[in-house]
Amino acid sequence: MTTSKGKSQLSDFQKTCLNIAIVLGSGLLCLLLSPMRFPGIELLGVAPNWLLIWVVIWSIHHPIVDGAIAGIVLGLLQDGLTGPFPTHALSLMIVGMLTARLQRQRLIQENVVLVAFIVFGMAVVAATTMALQMSLRHLLWPNSPYLTLWQIWRTHQRVALSSAILSSLWTPAIYYPLHRWWKSL
Amino acid sequence: MFALRRWWDRHAARAGVASLVIVLAWAMRQSQGAFIYEIYQVLTSPLHPGLTQAERLENAYVLELQQRVIELENQNRSLRENIDYAANQGQVTVAAVIGRGADNWWQQITVNKGTNDGITEGDMVTGPGGLVGRVTSASANTSQVLLITDPVSQMGVKVSRSRALGVVRGNVDGRVVMQFFETTPDVKPGDVIVTSSYSRLFPQGVPVGRIESMDLKKSPAPEAVIQLSSPLSFLEWVTIHPFEAKTDVNAPPAEIADDSSTTP
Repeated sequence: MTTSKGKSQLSDFQKTCLNIAIVLGSGLLCLLLSPMRFPGIELLGVAPNWLLIWVVIWSIHHPIVDGAIAGIVLGLLQDGLTGPFPTHALSLMIVGMLTARLQRQRLIQENVVLVAFIVFGMAVVAATTMALQMSLRHLLWPNSPYLTLWQIWRTHQRVALSSAILSSLWTPAIYYPLHRWWKSL
Repeated sequence: MFALRRWWDRHAARAGVASLVIVLAWAMRQSQGAFIYEIYQVLTSPLHPGLTQAERLENAYVLELQQRVIELENQNRSLRENIDYAANQGQVTVAAVIGRGADNWWQQITVNKGTNDGITEGDMVTGPGGLVGRVTSASANTSQVLLITDPVSQMGVKVSRSRALGVVRGNVDGRVVMQFFETTPDVKPGDVIVTSSYSRLFPQGVPVGRIESMDLKKSPAPEAVIQLSSPLSFLEWVTIHPFEAKTDVNAPPAEIADDSSTTP
């Protein structure tokens, strides 16, 4: 993102503008895909977590702070689409920071299979953060809407596994275009 | 101090952009994602189930009703005056389901009618078979419907046959459980469940489902698993009925009169 190879004709200003447009556009695309259920996308009634895929790919290419900010922003937006509690901002922030930290240790080397594995792990992390929030609410506050802890964690099992599988399978669809663009910058 | 100044000189622009973006995202969240749902509605409009088909079905239905009415008219002339059917039908809105929950933990659907069509927060939503949920937020052309299978959703219900009262709660796993108020309710599998007059968020007498199985020894209250009569997982069309919740559940509790301020 910082150095330009000078092989394309675009000026730096144009590139920055295009980069902003692509970042915002791809984020918006993931946001719009979230409520969508086109045929063949569901597994056990669970859909892929598009925003999580986007945050992981962003964090691979950016430092920890940027990963956390992207996670918070997209988490707040997803909260807007669903409900305020449990918040997605926390889970996506953790995902962004963890992924950026993994990348700093050079564990990911432009290998799409490895990225898909990271998405798999991060989907489990995100689902666990959500379930932990629900469990804390159930234990610490009176009149919780959830019936039992056992149910939360059984649902967690189903959601975490199916969304991890689906999200990691859909990762290349978002990874390739964004990765190529950021590489060419 | 100097270090802080230097950090500010170097990162002022980034910090400004980051806080601006977070504030924007927060505003979007507070507005229930109305902006995003509007874009979603516009972009997915070619995919919505065509109105023509629905209208054709409706026309066929109207035709059938007309023929029946002609037959019954002669017998029912006196009774017919009492039925304000047309006025009642004029208010409902038929809407297409254009999206599901944007997350795997929420049970909600998005429909393609909003405040422009007179939908307001708290309206009741039914589908073929019975109750589906209620409108939790509405933008200009879309509205979010919280399904009755969501854990946040609770409503007062009764067993139609024995009038045994209880509360239906959604579950994170999508099942619906009824908790009875009595310790020994008169209930058996197959009994029809309808909303009760104690339900603040729904009108009374709307069919919800049937009792599938029950656990009467459950503590603190006997429980029953409800089989919903409406197929929530593959809904395509829903009907939205205007309904004003009896009390505003989002309002803060009424202020308690303070005696100490009036007495010296």
